[in-house]
Amino acid sequence: MAKPSGRTRLTIILLVVTALALLTVDGRGSGPAATVRNAIGSVFAPIGDVAGGIIRPVRNVWNGAFSDTNYEKENEELRQEVEKLQGEVIANEVAKSQLQQLLELVGIPFVGEIPRVHAGVVSGSVGNFGNTIEIDRGANSGIKRDQPVITGKGLVGRVIEVSDSRAKVMLITSNNFNVGFSVVGTSAVGVAKGQGNNETINGSNLDSRQKVQVGQIAVTSGLGDSVYPPNLPIGTITEVRNNAAMLESMVTIRLFASTTDLTYVDVLQWEKPK
Amino acid sequence: MTFENPIIRYGILIVTAALLQYAVISQFRILGVSADLLLVLAVAAGMRGGPDTGAIVGFFCGLLLDCLTVTPFGLGALAYLLAGVCGAGLERATVHSARWLTMTVAALSSMAGILAFAIVGAIVGDGDLVNGHLVTVLLIVALTSSVLVFPVLAACRWADPDEDRIRAATR
Repeated sequence: MAKPSGRTRLTIILLVVTALALLTVDGRGSGPAATVRNAIGSVFAPIGDVAGGIIRPVRNVWNGAFSDTNYEKENEELRQEVEKLQGEVIANEVAKSQLQQLLELVGIPFVGEIPRVHAGVVSGSVGNFGNTIEIDRGANSGIKRDQPVITGKGLVGRVIEVSDSRAKVMLITSNNFNVGFSVVGTSAVGVAKGQGNNETINGSNLDSRQKVQVGQIAVTSGLGDSVYPPNLPIGTITEVRNNAAMLESMVTIRLFASTTDLTYVDVLQWEKPK
Repeated sequence: MTFENPIIRYGILIVTAALLQYAVISQFRILGVSADLLLVLAVAAGMRGGPDTGAIVGFFCGLLLDCLTVTPFGLGALAYLLAGVCGAGLERATVHSARWLTMTVAALSSMAGILAFAIVGAIVGDGDLVNGHLVTVLLIVALTSSVLVFPVLAACRWADPDEDRIRAATR
């Protein structure tokens, strides 16, 4: 193999140094990088819309062939779930009304009253890394960075980048995702963190003297500087591990909302109280 | 105005590859992983024009990817320039000329780019890069790169016609 010339070495070193400088300077999501990303996102978005419409039929066939989802089984499960949910709707309406009354009594705004922007999921990440999705609404629709993203079942993520007509959402399953949670029926609070797993996240920092049990429901705590409003459903606790020495419990939370095959989401126009 | 300057032609190729990656290729995934056209272009430019071409094209391919994703800015630029240099180095190191060798060089260089992306990303604090999914990404990107490298090499020959080599012409 021929040795690279001095000019070649200099070129490579200069580029490596530039890349390292960009990495060091970038405060991820702020500064000039965010501006450049927004500009490029605004240019690419309309092209993506047109291409997306054209290739949708082909993509559906492709996904049917290569997705690891068993659609027949999933359809059957969904059919059964719809029947079950129809029965639960009436009971939920009663419970919702009772919950609203209780929340009003203690002065907490009811989550259902927070304005929301309905958005379609355009794509997953352009690259092969990062638990993110891109949605077809952006700053023009009132979406801002850090707003919570939900589906009908519960929390699925948080807006991390916004251009005029698009926004990127970090999914709750991302290793970079943290959310404060509380356990319904107790005063236990902790911090839940994604772990790259599509179905569960881990919760920690729970006071082990609190009686947290399998089957209890975790919701956002909304405490302190949290960017999430209180009481957004997260999931069901499926495992509790006590660390007696640390007086700490850790839990595994099975997510209510599926983060795979998302089609539509709602962005809550929630801003943390100042 | 003519577009015979290799810099302009590579610029056109990089923007075209980014558009295709964004609008089309990222929509078609196998086990959640898509082909990476920008990475293939970096590797092919290195194989075609040598380490400095690979480094420059790789840098700008990665930079454009950084603009389209939410991973740390500059990470793609660093990883893809390394992939471009790797493609050039492996291409120069091979003695024989054969399709399977071109495929192997593309696959190995792509894997080097992905590994650099994941490892440097983990070092700078992105927790989503080094996990079980990385193996799937490595295998599928290597496989798709080894196929896509032929049309992309042809595009690089259009961008850089002065660099025609006997070995390249036999492929």
